[in-house]
Amino acid sequence: MKQTRAVEPWMMEPLERFVTEADARLTLIMTPSGQVLAQHGFTRAVDIMAAAALGAAIVSSTREIASAIGENGFRALNHQGVRHGVFLSETDTPRGRLLALVVYGSESSVGLVQLFFEDLARELNEACPQEIPQKAVISANFERELNESLASLFGR
Amino acid sequence: MPLVNFTTREITCKIVYYGPGRSGKTTNLQYIYGRVPETRRGRMVSLATRTDRTLFFDFLPLELGQISGFTTRFQLYTVPGQVYYNATRKLVLQGADGVVFVADSQARQLDENIESLQNLQENLLEQAVDVRGVPVVLQYNKQDLPSDLILTPDEMDDALNFRDAPSFPADALNGAGVFETLKGVSELVLKKLSEETPT
Repeated sequence: MKQTRAVEPWMMEPLERFVTEADARLTLIMTPSGQVLAQHGFTRAVDIMAAAALGAAIVSSTREIASAIGENGFRALNHQGVRHGVFLSETDTPRGRLLALVVYGSESSVGLVQLFFEDLARELNEACPQEIPQKAVISANFERELNESLASLFGR
Repeated sequence: MPLVNFTTREITCKIVYYGPGRSGKTTNLQYIYGRVPETRRGRMVSLATRTDRTLFFDFLPLELGQISGFTTRFQLYTVPGQVYYNATRKLVLQGADGVVFVADSQARQLDENIESLQNLQENLLEQAVDVRGVPVVLQYNKQDLPSDLILTPDEMDDALNFRDAPSFPADALNGAGVFETLKGVSELVLKKLSEETPT
């Protein structure tokens, strides 16, 4: 599995540059509801989704606390462990707000991550297209495939 | 709207299990977790209190398989049912592509079911989402309890299902109706996705 992947190609370059410069081990870029748009370093899709769900929950609950005490929000959150640190922040783009979750180790630091996150936020904002053309996704007769998928999922 | 990755041909849908406290939302996810092969699911994350009541949410990622050439994944969430956790309920509800309303079939829980259903509508409206535009199915859980304690599926329909949404009787603890409910909401979510995009 490729180390860096993005749902929308315009995110790839800024993310790859950020990962290299900040020396991040894992990075997720996601929507406020926890949908992953780009990632670096994770291997299993289902693990990515759990990390994104938890990251989005932390950011959104912290935003509610900020609002309760009359703050507009917090610029970033950082949790420092013995071997890893976790950095969470958000940025606005023409397509809406994006959240980032970054895991870094002893080869990096919160200062370095924060510094290059500002570059990442600016580059995403510049690279973001205003609109993505709609394409066909699934055909109307998806029921048979859905039934088969669910049946195999539940061993029926 | 579900997240669609055209490059890697992946669809990710967020489904939220909503309902009053102790109606069986977490039990639905636990049953699914126990039945699905490890290769098709991720870790189940539960942010719960020390007495196992959901504090923030439960989360279970599932790999559904290939649908119309897209690898389709579902993210299943539950909300905390207790009334005073409304702030966290709203956060979990953000961006939901489909909702399973898990109602407690016990007759004495009817008011709690109605209150929770109203709360769902209010919380969606607060996010500028009209409940009529969101795929919703109802599950009438605990149908295994003695018949003098519970309402029948028809009675539950009369009391709660005024939009005529698909509804499923269930005994989530033993798995009855869990699969059918997930199938029901999956169909609605994917049907909506197929209608929203040009074919």
